[in-house]
Amino acid sequence: MFANFLIGLREGLEASLVVTILVAYLVKSGRRDLLPQIWLGIGTAVVVSLGFGALLTFGPQGLTFEAQEAIGGSLSIVAVGLITWMILWMGRTAKNMKADLHHKLDDAIAAGRWAVAVMALLAVGREGLETTLFLWAGAQATGQTVQPLVGALLGLAVAIVLALAVYRGALRLNLRSFFAWTGAFLVVVAAGVLSYGVHDLQEAGILPGLHSLAFDVSAQIPPTSWYGTVLKGVFNFSPATTWLELVVWWAYLLPVGFIFVRAAWFGPSRGRAPQPATPASLEGN
Amino acid sequence: MTRNRASRTATRTAALALGAVVAAPLLAGCVPNDPASSEAGGDGPVTLSVSSTADACDVSAAEAPSGNVVFSVKNDGDEVTEFYLLAEDGLRIVSEVENIGPGLTRDLVVVAKPGSYVTACKPGMVGDGIRADFTVTDSGADTAPTGELADQVDAAAVNYVAYVKDQTEQLLTGTEDFVAAYTDGDDDTARDLYAPVRLHWERIEPVAESFGDLDPSMDLREADLEAGQEWTGWHLLEKDLWAPEPADNGGEKYTPLTTAERADYAERLLSDTQELYDRTHAAEFADTIDAAAIGNGAKGLLDEVATGKVTGEEEIWSHTDLWDFQANVDGAKVGYDGLRDVVLAKDEALAGDLDERFETLQGLLDQYQEGDGFVAYTELTPDQVKELAAAVDALSEPLSQLTAAVVL
Repeated sequence: MFANFLIGLREGLEASLVVTILVAYLVKSGRRDLLPQIWLGIGTAVVVSLGFGALLTFGPQGLTFEAQEAIGGSLSIVAVGLITWMILWMGRTAKNMKADLHHKLDDAIAAGRWAVAVMALLAVGREGLETTLFLWAGAQATGQTVQPLVGALLGLAVAIVLALAVYRGALRLNLRSFFAWTGAFLVVVAAGVLSYGVHDLQEAGILPGLHSLAFDVSAQIPPTSWYGTVLKGVFNFSPATTWLELVVWWAYLLPVGFIFVRAAWFGPSRGRAPQPATPASLEGN
Repeated sequence: MTRNRASRTATRTAALALGAVVAAPLLAGCVPNDPASSEAGGDGPVTLSVSSTADACDVSAAEAPSGNVVFSVKNDGDEVTEFYLLAEDGLRIVSEVENIGPGLTRDLVVVAKPGSYVTACKPGMVGDGIRADFTVTDSGADTAPTGELADQVDAAAVNYVAYVKDQTEQLLTGTEDFVAAYTDGDDDTARDLYAPVRLHWERIEPVAESFGDLDPSMDLREADLEAGQEWTGWHLLEKDLWAPEPADNGGEKYTPLTTAERADYAERLLSDTQELYDRTHAAEFADTIDAAAIGNGAKGLLDEVATGKVTGEEEIWSHTDLWDFQANVDGAKVGYDGLRDVVLAKDEALAGDLDERFETLQGLLDQYQEGDGFVAYTELTPDQVKELAAAVDALSEPLSQLTAAVVL
């Protein structure tokens, strides 16, 4: 029960956190009119994943292992591209905080009206296929036991609750801190998503080096533990990381992190990190 | 509201890329779920059950016949487990299922080739897992195309046999007309019929050649005569209809055939053609036509073009080489088209290559069309001949991979 719960939690966190920040970002910057695009992206991802998973589970054709990994891996890498675009916009937004904020935002987001939908679609869809295959397996087992399915669904539900908590927390931050911190968080998440995608492609044999490990802390951080699950779900942290994953992680984190931090944290008020959050004027909630 | 065009384009590109990313593996990466639907030889489907617990990984059998193999992996432990089928080196992943929660059963379906493998369960998703050796024995006719592909290969063979029969029928009726005109001394009509009738022969030349005794009797060129061999067939009549000047005949004056000789040789050509018709319509002929025969035949036709038609040696008196050229290409194209779906499924790049080069060659040939036929070979400049030869070689190269792509 608990093990299945953790799988659901992990997959749920992987899917929901990026979307959470995306929604918070839109709400913070007064662009609630774009929320339908988000729901459309999420809805599409869920429906397609569920339908496709059912088709592969119950239909006449399965998917080869290579194909499944290639889908997950490639979608992750495409998702990283979109998240990066969003991070850089957030950095710029933070920089232009005091100046005509809404005008700038309009420009940025209007251009990305559909990018927003696609981003939501990818954030949820990249792991959607594996998740639904797992869920359908749980559904198939309901003849003998409903525990796996219930556990997995509970895990997903808890992931969504956690995502909501993050959302509310993020909204409490003042604007400047919000952009600075969520952006920094996203940089780390995106680096994880990228190396996760690389690992999928390594497993499929599309990229080399599956067995040259940079480190293996599986003993200290078992992937079946709750903290291993959360680390994996939030940052895509893998206890047994290959060299290629590690290199890709740093190769993404350093340049993107540098660009973002320079823009968001050392913008108009040079050299000063943002002030800690004060219960400032809140928009919306 | 202002819109940033560059970003919109980028988004659209991303969406397209996404579509391609999803579609590509889907098109290529399917395995039949239901092993019963696979047409693998041997004893049909094999389902093995695997029980994974904290300290054991029990596979119901240590070997399976090649073909579709299903591992039905049940997690009887209380930690999440994974199941891997690894190559003999224990490193390369052949297939895997992850996220098998306690109490769950997930299937790993694989089209297994004969060889040694390693199975592994990873309770707790860590380490090298609990491993065991696994053997896939050779069950014979499997991992060759199964299911849909096998059906396509069968269909291609049936269609090709039908094509061969149809061509021999047209060859037979055409030959009857030609022979009648020739024996009656109606040389103009015979000359008009010569090339269009031979089209049907040239389209199926490799098949005719497979009947070893018929080909030399019907299609031998004077230049290829061996000492003591009697010259009969199409090219003897060709020379008689397009009687050469002494200069073109090794300095000797050409002596036309007598009426009796004409009747004799014509009769022989007709009976050979009838024989070809009978043999291709016999039930056992269809058994000799499989994917390999079609693929090799297509390649053989192109070789014919390269060695005979492009050089103008085939029709040395009538100069109707381009007709034969076209007919050889037709035959090769028919053979390839029948197998094209199979090639597409197994080697997409090769199919694209062949499509393109057939088209190029046909485009070149079309320049020399005249009425229902072609200009005489003698009207081509050396450069034009070279251009045709290059296009033939360009097609010949990928065509030589056709059989391997389909059969292996």
